[in-house]
Amino acid sequence: MRHWRALAIVVVALGLAVGAAACGGDDGGEATPDTTATEPATTGEEPATTEEEPATTEEEPSPEGPQAGGTYRVDWEETFGFTGGFDPVGEYLGEAFGIQSGLLVRTLIGYRHTAGSAGNELIPDLATDLGTISDDGLTYTYTLKDGIKFGPPLSREITSQDVAYAFERIGTESLVAQYGFYYTVIEGMSEFMAGEADTISGITTPDDKTIAFKLTAPTGDFPFRLAMPAAGPAPREVAGCFTEAGAYGRYLISSGPYMFEGSDALDASSCDTLEPIAGFDPNTSMTLVRNPDYDPATDTPEARENFVDRFEFKINSNPDDIFNKIKAGEIEDAVASEPPKVIREYTENEELTPLLHINAGDRTWYITLNLTQPPFDDIHVRKAANLVMDKEGLRRAWGGPTAGEIATHIIPDAMLNETLADYDPYPSEGYAGDVAAAMEEMKLSKYDTDKDGICDAPECKDVLYVTEADRLRQDMQPPTSASFEKIGITLKVRSVEGAYPVIQDVSKNVPASGRPGWGKDYADASTFMVLFDSRSTLPTGNINYSLVGLTPEQAAKVKASGTVEGIPSVDADIDACNVIPVGDERVQCWADLDKKLMEEVVPWIPYLDATATQITGPTVTKWDFDQFSGTIAYAHVAVAQ
Amino acid sequence: MTSLAGPVESAPLMGQVVGKSPRQLAWERFRHDRAALAGLLVIVLLVLISIFAGVIGKYLAGHGPNDLFQREMTDEFGLPLGPNSDFWFGADTAGRDLFVRVLYGARTSLLIALAATGIAVFIGVVLGTAAGYFRGVADTIVSRVTDVILALPLLLLAIGIAAACGTTKEGCLNGAIEPGLSLVVFIIALFSWPYIARIVRGNVLSIREKEFIESARSLGAGNVRIMFREVLPNLIAPIIVYSTLLIPSNILFEAALSFLGLGVPQETPSWGRMLSDAAGVFDVAWWLMLFPGLFLVATTLAFNLVGDGLRDALDPRSGR
Amino acid sequence: MAAYIVRRLVWVIVVLLAVTMITFAIFYLLPTGDPAVRFAGKSPTPQVLEEVRRQFGLDKPWYAQYWHFLSDLTTGDKYGWPGLGFSFDTRIPVREELLERAPRTLSLAFGAAIVWLTLGVTIGIVSALRRGTLLDRAAMGFALFGVSAPVFWLGLMALWLFAETGGGPDWLHFLPGTGYVPFSESPSEWFTHLIMPWVVLALLYAAFYARMTRGNLLETMGEDYIRTARAKGLTERRVVFKHGLRASLTPIVTMFGMDIALLVGGAVITETVFNIQGLGAWAVRATFNQDLPAVVAVVVVSAFAVAIMNLLVDIVYAWLDPRVRYQ
Repeated sequence: MRHWRALAIVVVALGLAVGAAACGGDDGGEATPDTTATEPATTGEEPATTEEEPATTEEEPSPEGPQAGGTYRVDWEETFGFTGGFDPVGEYLGEAFGIQSGLLVRTLIGYRHTAGSAGNELIPDLATDLGTISDDGLTYTYTLKDGIKFGPPLSREITSQDVAYAFERIGTESLVAQYGFYYTVIEGMSEFMAGEADTISGITTPDDKTIAFKLTAPTGDFPFRLAMPAAGPAPREVAGCFTEAGAYGRYLISSGPYMFEGSDALDASSCDTLEPIAGFDPNTSMTLVRNPDYDPATDTPEARENFVDRFEFKINSNPDDIFNKIKAGEIEDAVASEPPKVIREYTENEELTPLLHINAGDRTWYITLNLTQPPFDDIHVRKAANLVMDKEGLRRAWGGPTAGEIATHIIPDAMLNETLADYDPYPSEGYAGDVAAAMEEMKLSKYDTDKDGICDAPECKDVLYVTEADRLRQDMQPPTSASFEKIGITLKVRSVEGAYPVIQDVSKNVPASGRPGWGKDYADASTFMVLFDSRSTLPTGNINYSLVGLTPEQAAKVKASGTVEGIPSVDADIDACNVIPVGDERVQCWADLDKKLMEEVVPWIPYLDATATQITGPTVTKWDFDQFSGTIAYAHVAVAQ
Repeated sequence: MTSLAGPVESAPLMGQVVGKSPRQLAWERFRHDRAALAGLLVIVLLVLISIFAGVIGKYLAGHGPNDLFQREMTDEFGLPLGPNSDFWFGADTAGRDLFVRVLYGARTSLLIALAATGIAVFIGVVLGTAAGYFRGVADTIVSRVTDVILALPLLLLAIGIAAACGTTKEGCLNGAIEPGLSLVVFIIALFSWPYIARIVRGNVLSIREKEFIESARSLGAGNVRIMFREVLPNLIAPIIVYSTLLIPSNILFEAALSFLGLGVPQETPSWGRMLSDAAGVFDVAWWLMLFPGLFLVATTLAFNLVGDGLRDALDPRSGR
Repeated sequence: MAAYIVRRLVWVIVVLLAVTMITFAIFYLLPTGDPAVRFAGKSPTPQVLEEVRRQFGLDKPWYAQYWHFLSDLTTGDKYGWPGLGFSFDTRIPVREELLERAPRTLSLAFGAAIVWLTLGVTIGIVSALRRGTLLDRAAMGFALFGVSAPVFWLGLMALWLFAETGGGPDWLHFLPGTGYVPFSESPSEWFTHLIMPWVVLALLYAAFYARMTRGNLLETMGEDYIRTARAKGLTERRVVFKHGLRASLTPIVTMFGMDIALLVGGAVITETVFNIQGLGAWAVRATFNQDLPAVVAVVVVSAFAVAIMNLLVDIVYAWLDPRVRYQ
């Protein structure tokens, strides 16, 4: 399965020039869609990638190509997994981003919703272009297109005030925005959040068509932040009725090509007359239909082709059932993890292989090691653990090579333009773990008192290891435990439902966990590095699981105990990379920091640079992967029914 | 009498026992109950298996329960491979020897069921005797508590406790309840003592009216003495029968908890957990469903047969 | 009689109070984690966490929350009566969800009940009347197997053998796989999807009921009044069905009521194996997610069902068995 990675290299290389221009946003011009960039990502030669025809993406569908119409049915495994009731400010997972960014919530600038690097680049959406940036890099100005409207029941023109209002919502504490920290760089945002100001001074709307953002510091990746669904326009007359987190989700007014079914029945004459829209029941289903107020002329087929008439999303708790239905053509697609037996079937049966889509997931799965807790407070133990880990064994628990490449460092290779593709600081034959090297490393540790390469200190016995109680982690556990045992570390495994809240609670002092994985928020490595920023450490809900850079003062604040002296910090490195504008230099800076983390800090045992796999039904005539959200490119799929 | 439909969806307990009969007579009857004897044989075998699981596994298969054969016994998609000459029952999803794990599973099942049943019987007998003997407030409290417990969706609360106490290193209630085997035992005992308490209470109520109790009391015996010397010996028959019938019910309770992923820790072999693993892959790995299931059914069946046999032997009026 | 019913109703309320209190205690005294943390997302600030706790009502002490829960339950909340609050997980009203899932569980429980009652009582009667024959032994062997086999194993075996998607011999695959189809959508699909869950769930109870029926019937047939009936020259058939059965079915009625009621929140495993998203499966997921309002709702409904059934059963009891008098 090296193919997809090889392809990804080509994709990234070809897309680079466009990417730099688009993300830098300094020329104010619209990034020209580069068809040569999209092609490799979607080639049909490797059966395991998306097999759309790039040639048709910019034209009306030809008679023999994908047809307009039909219903695209998607089953969701177990739950929608929405983090904020589908209110855009509260959603922080790709599955919701995919629907909102593709179909319901247009943003000033957006994405093509396609696979590969082309899908990671920004293009104008509601704005006429990628914006103008002042010479000091502090002010971003955008002009809205004409003819953009909110869907029923409002059916009115979207103004710059609606966009500005979205930021007020992000800053409203009671709405519990999930990534408000991305916008604190806007002047006055922090004051607004703290309730010290009634407006956000850095956001101005000189007229209905113009909006300007003034930042407190140059931020190269700010345009990416504007492309996130929370930054999409919100109508005050409806959204303003809801002051509690997640409540607006069932009343979401569309600005995109689709809307909740029954949106037109919403009585928006006052807050009191609002009833949840029929098309969305968070526990069972979501149905989307075409938004009559959407004008394709304000959009581009590159971003959205909108073939299907209707989307039906249903919750189904049984993966077997889901994939049987897909195979039988009863549904088209699923938001579910494919069981290994299904992957095996689709890999081995040549008729089914074209229906299996494998794309870069821009996500790393890893074992986190807590720098404050023995025995992992000793870097030699952390290095030895990296050396000894049977990563191939872990990948097998994930379903084998289809699940992704073995990860050897933190940031997914595709996000670093493959600059670290050959970098492996802890190599071993077949990724099975190098016991001899691990023992050599262990000898350097204070916990190996007799220096025989096997940890013999009591700190290495019954080390608490928290993991999820799901099947995947159960299957991962035997090779994990066996690997640790080879250097004398015995784990006391706690399998819990919902391991994240446990490891995010600093006071629980969890030494290690096999639960975490991290995916990008947008295509910049900074969205990985927040995990190692000591300034973002929190007592609960903490994502710096390893507690990298923790100072004794911070430790007291977040209730961390254990070894809190002398923890290596990368805060300065993060700041240094962050000021560099998007481009090669910035990527190189992140790559160097990745290496530093892997060699001088060693907070993780990364083991999987994950793919996103997707299986579609026989009725799907066109399919694409949305690289931004890492899920189905809803705006580009077509179905024959 | 309300339902004795055991822990939710697992085996209900059987009818009602009242009487007592001389030991020898009972043994005579039991000896001629071929089904019960067969059950007893299976139980003896299971006990032997659980004691010697290590030896048998090592001698016959050459593997330990947690030895990994991932490269040999799973394919490149991580799916387990079926029975062969080295792995008689095939492998589980992690690539461990299912045969050895099934043997060790007997140990887990019996250990948990016996411990939980023992605790439940102890609590049930103490509270049931107190309620039946003293009546009044004691009786009201015990009866109402059992009523409430029996009105609870037990499995749900069991899951709640298991989920809550399984999270931290210390367990819950300041470390009183350790996650793992002891937690499972605690939960099962907590929800199965009311059955015993009810039965004991009913029996004590009728015994305390008997003449020999009166005569003991008139001879100046204290409450404690009467309870231990006069009442309890008369309870031995029903206690034995109901304990025997509670064991399979508790084995299934453990299996159900493990099936839902809340039973014993994952490295501990458990039939319920094996079946839970099988749930995702049973259509491509039938062995994972078949062997643990057969052992589980054989075990509960054996205990039920013996329990039935004991009841018939100790109380000939009860049916056959 | 009226006084009796009132007394029983008071008991129903006491049970409900106790049950909800125990549920609250379990989820508050033994916390798995902070539900607010779950909802607040990847990297919440302490202010945001405080805010979520306030919105969930988790900022108050447990007794205040319990009191709030009780008053909402009895007087209703903004989503209607009874007030069950909103789900911490999805933020939708628990009441809505409850009404949506209840038909699934009821379909499963009542269908299975019909199967096990018919099957169990018939087998029990036949077995008792043909006592000691091969038929009796076979029936009792089946019954013993039924009480010994775990539902989840039977369910998996049934799916493997009979489901379209199973791994067993193809010629046996005549039933659809897992899942639930609402009756309103397609009665025939509803039926075919439920056959396996009904039978699997019913098997356990049928086995138990067969043994109970047989045992009770044999015992009753030895009673004096049956001998009297026989002496009066009634046909054996009439003796069995008019007199014997009536008395021996009384305990069965008791059990039947309780068993059905317990299934309201307790068919967890059957619902899991066959992917019927009923109350039990919902409650289990809610438990894992610390979605307290959903858990409490299912517990309340389930305990209420048990208590009410208890009451009904006592009334039916009196009607069936004239010897019973209300104290």
